[in-house]
Amino acid sequence: MTRAEAFSEREVAMCTVARLVEDGRTYWAAGGGTPLYAVLLGKKLYAPDAQYVTEDGVIAPEPLLPFEPMMTMVASRAVHHALAWGTMNSAGVHAQLGHMDYGVLNTLQVDQHGNINSTFLGEYGGSGRRFGGPGGADTIAACCWRTILITDQERRKFVREVDFISSPGFLDGTPGARERAGLPRDTGPWRVVTPWAMYDYSERRLRLMARVPWVSVEEILAECEWKPLVAPEVAVLEPPSEEELQLLRTELDVRGQTTDAAGSWITWDGEKYVRA
Amino acid sequence: MTSPAAVREVAILREGDSPYLAVDPDGFRAHVRDNKQRALKPRLMSAKEAVERFVSDGDYLTYECNYLMRGPNEVVHEVIRQEKKDLWVAGKFTYVDVALLVDAGCVSRADCGFFLSAPPVERALKDGRLEVYEYSNVIMTLRLQAGAMGVPFLPVRSFGGTDGFDHSGAKLIVDPYTRLPITIVPALNPDVAIVHVHQSDIYGNARVFGTGTSDVESALASKKVIISAEELVDTAEIRRNPGATSIPYYAVDAVVHSPYGSYPGTCPGYYGSDPEGVFEVFRATMGDQVPAYLDKWVRPFETFGQMLEARVGKAKLEAMRARETAREGYSA
Repeated sequence: MTRAEAFSEREVAMCTVARLVEDGRTYWAAGGGTPLYAVLLGKKLYAPDAQYVTEDGVIAPEPLLPFEPMMTMVASRAVHHALAWGTMNSAGVHAQLGHMDYGVLNTLQVDQHGNINSTFLGEYGGSGRRFGGPGGADTIAACCWRTILITDQERRKFVREVDFISSPGFLDGTPGARERAGLPRDTGPWRVVTPWAMYDYSERRLRLMARVPWVSVEEILAECEWKPLVAPEVAVLEPPSEEELQLLRTELDVRGQTTDAAGSWITWDGEKYVRA
Repeated sequence: MTSPAAVREVAILREGDSPYLAVDPDGFRAHVRDNKQRALKPRLMSAKEAVERFVSDGDYLTYECNYLMRGPNEVVHEVIRQEKKDLWVAGKFTYVDVALLVDAGCVSRADCGFFLSAPPVERALKDGRLEVYEYSNVIMTLRLQAGAMGVPFLPVRSFGGTDGFDHSGAKLIVDPYTRLPITIVPALNPDVAIVHVHQSDIYGNARVFGTGTSDVESALASKKVIISAEELVDTAEIRRNPGATSIPYYAVDAVVHSPYGSYPGTCPGYYGSDPEGVFEVFRATMGDQVPAYLDKWVRPFETFGQMLEARVGKAKLEAMRARETAREGYSA
């Protein structure tokens, strides 16, 4: 892998998730944008036998890249040369049956137990702000064996309790909470990835497990309104490689709509990466 | 026979507090008996006639896919043009449609799977002109699945534990078979479904190619069904490959011939989207310019065809068709 000269924050998050993609596993990638690009990046570079579905019921497509604007599902290029074409219900039911190893999604807000809010910021029904709703994420978070969440590293996104649980994490964090709510056994949140960090869960509580080299643990914790647990040894993540960025920029997020929308740039100063 | 003393109730552990469309499988069956056309008689008509006859103020309306992807946009435009009121919509898998219909004054209630909470939606919520009930995309299509099976509810493995559950018509019960908690959701039998398909004959035997949300479920679950079709095909062609029929005629009330009916979106395999048109409707929705959008694209015209001719033009439509190069799988 070749050292990259410069990249954006969201590119970091996508490359980090891409490296989590495992061969021989099935991924349900939410909607469009970050989750789908991360899975495709991982599949193309590291795990050719990883397969994915999206919520329109497509199974294991070989999409014609790049996608047209907004056209990451249903459109012919997105579902090209799939192994099967289904429906939203077939996707949902296949997840209920246990066929989906990993779900990948993004969110507005996540809490200490991995609960996800994409519906409402503020007191529900009050003067806060409404967002799009769970879409497919509720089924992904409920029924895939493991859930990978992508979000930005901002104080307001890491909270003690989300304002509204759109999609389930470990709910109140007590053992068996998901099962008591009727969700499938042994499922739940697995990783949260941001441009700065990766988190896992310890006893169903969010725990910082890795950081990028150019950001300290203290800086990460400063960008968490509710402080997560911190692993005894916080690993250091590899920065994106030139190969990853090349693929991301030329075949996936070619218009930069997803990767460049927020965050600053990181550049190589000859000795180390620095945040611009 | 079980003695009365042995009758036990199923325990409801928790339930949502939102209104939901009344569940009435026998009422639905009676509607089918009394209203659905079981004879092979043509039901081809214009979008105008279909909406006049089959969409009423106060109806629960579901549409399939969305404005950008094989949406029944010709019929949606007609609903707006005819100023239908007080509709309750299934807002699943949708970016702009709900905002367009809300700002046009057509919609007062929405079940939410996913739709953009654009300024028109925000404003209607604040003014009390719109109520939203919470579900998810798959929960909405599973509700339609229950409606399409003629049963009153469906057990589901997601949705439990969420705040959406508490603002929905779902219930958490003790499953009488496993004795474990399970979420059930109410069947959805909309008053009217609009579905855009690739091909149909004049009776409504319809073919959908590619992926989708819940075309078949919506058509079977709804009291009144409007199919808009890119292509009309002979019934002999349908009979040549019966396995390709997605929706059978007896579920269908109206067939509208609707070439380019998903403009500015794509009808996969037939034509790609018009990115310019997609951006325009997005900008209008997020930038709170829906009235101007409707004044440009919907209201001045008597038909969708007139709009395509005046606003898009033959050359662009042909270019959209030419650009759609991935065609494998989009025929029977």
